[in-house]
Formats: sequence, C-alpha cells, structure tokens
Amino acid sequence: MSITLDNLSKTFGSYQALEDISLSLTGGELVGLLGPSGSGKTTLLRIIAGLEKADTGRVLFDGKDVTNMPVQQRKVGFVFQQYALFRHMTVFDNVGFGLRMLPRHERPDRAARKARIMELLELVQLEQLAKRYPAQLSGGQRQRVALARALAVNPSVLLLDEPFGALDAKVRKELRRWLRRLHEQIPVTSVFVTHDQEEAMEVSDQVVVMSQGRIEQIGAPRQVYEEPASRFVFDFLGHINALAGQCNLACADSGGRPRWENGVAWLALPDSGCPSGELTFYMRPHEAQLAHSPTDKAHLPVVVEELSVFGATVKLELGAVGWHAHALEVELPRDDFLALGIERRQQLFLRPLRLQSITANGALGPVIDPT
Amino acid sequence: MQTPRSLLQWSLVLLALALTVLLLVLPLVLIFSKALGAGWEMVALNLADSDMRHAIWLTVLAALITVPVNLVFGVLLAWCVTRYEFRGRKFLTTLIDIPFAMSPVVAGLCYLVIYGIESRLGGWLYDHDIQLMFAWPGIVMVTIFVTCPYVARVLIPLMESQGSDEEEAALLLGASGFKTFLYVTLPNIKWALLYGVVITNARAVGEFGAVSVVSGSIRGQTLTLPLHVELLHQDYNTVGAFTAAALLASMAMLTLVLKTIMEWRQQQRITNGNVDHENVEKEAQPQ
Repeated sequence: MSITLDNLSKTFGSYQALEDISLSLTGGELVGLLGPSGSGKTTLLRIIAGLEKADTGRVLFDGKDVTNMPVQQRKVGFVFQQYALFRHMTVFDNVGFGLRMLPRHERPDRAARKARIMELLELVQLEQLAKRYPAQLSGGQRQRVALARALAVNPSVLLLDEPFGALDAKVRKELRRWLRRLHEQIPVTSVFVTHDQEEAMEVSDQVVVMSQGRIEQIGAPRQVYEEPASRFVFDFLGHINALAGQCNLACADSGGRPRWENGVAWLALPDSGCPSGELTFYMRPHEAQLAHSPTDKAHLPVVVEELSVFGATVKLELGAVGWHAHALEVELPRDDFLALGIERRQQLFLRPLRLQSITANGALGPVIDPT
Repeated sequence: MQTPRSLLQWSLVLLALALTVLLLVLPLVLIFSKALGAGWEMVALNLADSDMRHAIWLTVLAALITVPVNLVFGVLLAWCVTRYEFRGRKFLTTLIDIPFAMSPVVAGLCYLVIYGIESRLGGWLYDHDIQLMFAWPGIVMVTIFVTCPYVARVLIPLMESQGSDEEEAALLLGASGFKTFLYVTLPNIKWALLYGVVITNARAVGEFGAVSVVSGSIRGQTLTLPLHVELLHQDYNTVGAFTAAALLASMAMLTLVLKTIMEWRQQQRITNGNVDHENVEKEAQPQ
C-alpha cells in the first residue's frame, strides 16, 4: 500500500514539530525516517498511524484519504521503542490480541487464531516462548513479540518507532539484519524511525532525512550519502572534516588565480564558482591521501597525532601545522599506510581527493577536485 | 541493614518496641478486654440493641455507597490527569488533595452551609421534601468528600509510570476505547485499584469529624458507629461503647490485613516486572 502525505503541519504549543511535509512512499518498500532527536520523525510516524492529528494537511493510503479515519480502522501495525507489550498477558495472548479484537464476523475461530499465532511466533523464532510473560523475555525477544503482534492482523502498513533504540549494540545489529530479511519475506510497506545513520543506511530501500520538522532529502541510501542535497545531510551522514578558511579570488602568490587560504595552508581553486570571502570545505575521512610532499594544488601540512591500525583501513587523527582546523580524521587503505611508513608525530601533507564547498550562508557550493 | 550490635543500638530497638506496645498495642488490647470484660452475654445484648444495629447498618450503607462512587471518580480523575494534556491539569491534581489538607469538620460545616435548610439551595430542596442534612444522605455526601482522593492518589503515580503505550498499542490493534480499558488498562491497575478501595473503605467506616457536623446526632436515625461510640461513652455504657469500638477496630484490622496482602502483591508484580534480563539476552537470538 502506498502512503502519501500532503502538506502536513503540526505544532505543539509554540513548537513547530512538522512544517509542510509532503512525501510519497511507494508500496512494499522499507523506508527509513532518519533525523536527530527533535526533527519531528516520531511525530510524523504517529500522524501516519493516526495516534496524532496533524493541524493541517492530509494522509492518503493508496490514494484514499484517511486523515480523519480513527486509529482502529487504519489497519496499521505499529512497533514501539519500549515494546509496549501487554504485561499481564502471555506472549501467545499478546500476539493474538489483534485477532481477538476483530469484529465477530471477521474473527477467526479459536483453532484458526491459534494456528495464526503459532505461525507468527515461528516467523519471529519464538514458538518455544509462547507461554512466557513479557517480563521474562530479553529486550530483543520482546521486540520480536511486538513485531509478531503488529503483523498478526495483516496490516496494510507497518510503522516502527525506533524499534531497536532500547537494545544494546550487538542485539541491535542482529535484529536489523533480521528485519531486513523479514521484510523480504513479507513485503508490507514499512516505515521505521531512527536516529542511527548506520541503521537507516543498512536497512532501508529509501531514506528520508529530516531536520527541524522538515524533509531535507529523500533517496536511496547510496544516493543520500554520495550526493547529499544540503549541508545538513552531508553533516549528519557519516563523519566529516571541516576546513574553514578564506577564498582569495586573485592571489598574487598563485599568479592571480583564486585560492583558499588558512594560515600557511592553501588550496588552488577553479577559476569560477567559488565566491570571495569565507569558504569552508567538507571532506569525508576516506576522501584524502597523505604524502611526504605538497602538490601544486594543495598545501596542507599536518602532523600525525593518533593512529589506529586495527582493521583493513587505518584511522589517523591529524593536527594542522601552521593553520587552524579541528582534529582531522583520515582513513587510509592499509597498503598505502605501510608504503608511507607513517609513525606518530610525523609531519606529512594532506592531499584531499574530493572537497564539498560550503558557502558563507551555509549553502552547498561546487565540489572541488584538488588532485 | 545490619543487626544491632552495641548496647545503644539495642536500647534504641527496645525503645521503639516499648513505644509501639504502649501507644498502639495496649489501647487495642484494652478495647477488646473492656468490651469482653462483662462477659459475652453483655456483648451480645449490646449488639442486639436496635440503636447499635442501626448504627452498624448506617455505617455499612455509607461505605457501600461511598466506595463505588469514589472508585469511579478516582479512576476517571486518574485517567484524565495521566492520559490527557490540558490547561489546568496540574491545578486539578492539587485540587484532589483538598480533602487531605482540610479538617473534616470544616468540610462538614461547608456542606451544612450549602445544603442546610437555611441556605437557598437547602430551602428549595426542603420545599420539595428532600432533606440532605441531619439525615443519611448528608452523612454519605460528606463521607464521599472526605475519602475521594484515595483511589486517585494511588492510581495517578502508577498510571503515570506505566504510560499510555500499551493503550495506544491496543487501539492500533483495533480495540475500541472501552475494550482497551477493560483488557489493558484495568488489568494493569487492578491491584492498585483494590488497594485504593480498601483504604477508602477504612476511612469511610471510621469517619467522625465531618459526619458529626452533618448528622445531627439523632439516636437510632443518624448515628454511625464512630458517633455511636461517643454517645454510649457519654451515657456511661462502657461495655456498649467498647463493643462498638471493638467492632470498628476489627474492621480496621481486617482492612490492614487486606492492605498488607495487596501491598505484597504489588511488590511482587514490580519485582517480576523488573527481572534482570542479562542472562536471558543470549538465548534464542534470531538466526
């Protein structure tokens, strides 16, 4: 079932939780709503579910307006961060609750209900725990019961609010892979809220990045990572190094060509595209190399402060020498690292491979290739 | 926690025990010994007295009406305060405490002023042959007033800590508002609710101050057990007074036993709810 959101806005008192959200989700996809806390993603999910009412705007399921449809009739499966299992019921009764609540003429008989419940418990691999109470289960098990309970009534839409937020890192990782596989078995349109970029990138077909009640970007995980539509998205997805400095449009040292400068450090810029004045570059840790000498396009002297040689890539923390920058993080392939013979406190030159410019007003500027 | 070791520690414990016996146990024992002092026949005779029977009946009636009314009122209030966000919510929670903070005598007097025959409302009711004050309805009314916070006060912290997630989950699974309350809310607050009922009942049965103002002390008509104790005592009917007092004390102790059992049940539920899951976390992870 496809979900369409049409100009949704919501305020809590004076706080604008959502501002004019329009979004169209294709049926059968697993969509991640990603954003920092307070970005309005949970509010948006609750409006889709019918637990919250938007001040203005419409919600459509398969083109049908459900804005004023009560929550009971929306046929939405919902999984809460804190599980929200019925604590006085066994796992079996929890999963069967939705079936029991069906109107009499739709309700399957006792035997059929039991078969359905056991089928679902098998799906979430908890059939041996049917008689337990939620308090007797681990966090991961509880969340799987919650998922089985939500799926019992064949929901047209499955909504998950930070489903793995209350679990420890290892269980979280296992569960999200498992959710991904489950979605391939039961391809119901699913929306899940998360503030964990890794989780969103790994699980989703589509990622919706939100910030301050607005949608920043919608796209496939690779697309939002590689082609961020705004400074916020660039900043929020993965680590970035910020190189702040001044753009000098006609620098005498470089024969009247534009240059980015910060202390003794400089970068040659293309002839057009960069405005004069304050100019910041964002650089991902893997988008740089190190060398013993500068190039004619990049002169960024650095010193190795920390290095972590664990794994296939070597993580280095660099300090700027003769210019100002926060600790720079660079990841090098192990072979490159060994070839350079890098040691702690060694002076080297940073050679960025790709730089995203950010103009003084915070907008994304052109991408520079300084090699 | 440790066992007392030094002489000082032991004497503290002994002092506490001695005070408990002197202040709590001794009077209680005295009540029963005085009541039974003249033999079982006198107790039976006093219990057979029509005024005594009426007092017992009136006390039970007041409790029978008060408890259900305050049960509904308490659940409603706790629901509103913990499930809805509205202007004046905090103020409402403060208002609930008025009967706690105010002397029951003042409450009785207020009711007398509003519903008494001298007031406009009381006069109008009197013209329509409805007498509230100096009659059993007045007694029930002030008893309800005095005991109304108990159920709400027990439920509010519990319902606040439980949150509304489970109820929302039930609604999402297609349950109506009523079914959600019946199948999800009620089982979760069951023991706290019973506990609230027990203490409401205890206070309703024992209420003296407010009732004495609105009762008018008409023998055999508007005397509840606590008022009857006072009256018998003033009549120098020691056995009668202590028999009535022993009845009240028995009701109180029964309540105490029920309350202890329920508290224990609550405690059990809480510890069961917070089982340490570290050891079960590893088993049965998805493959």
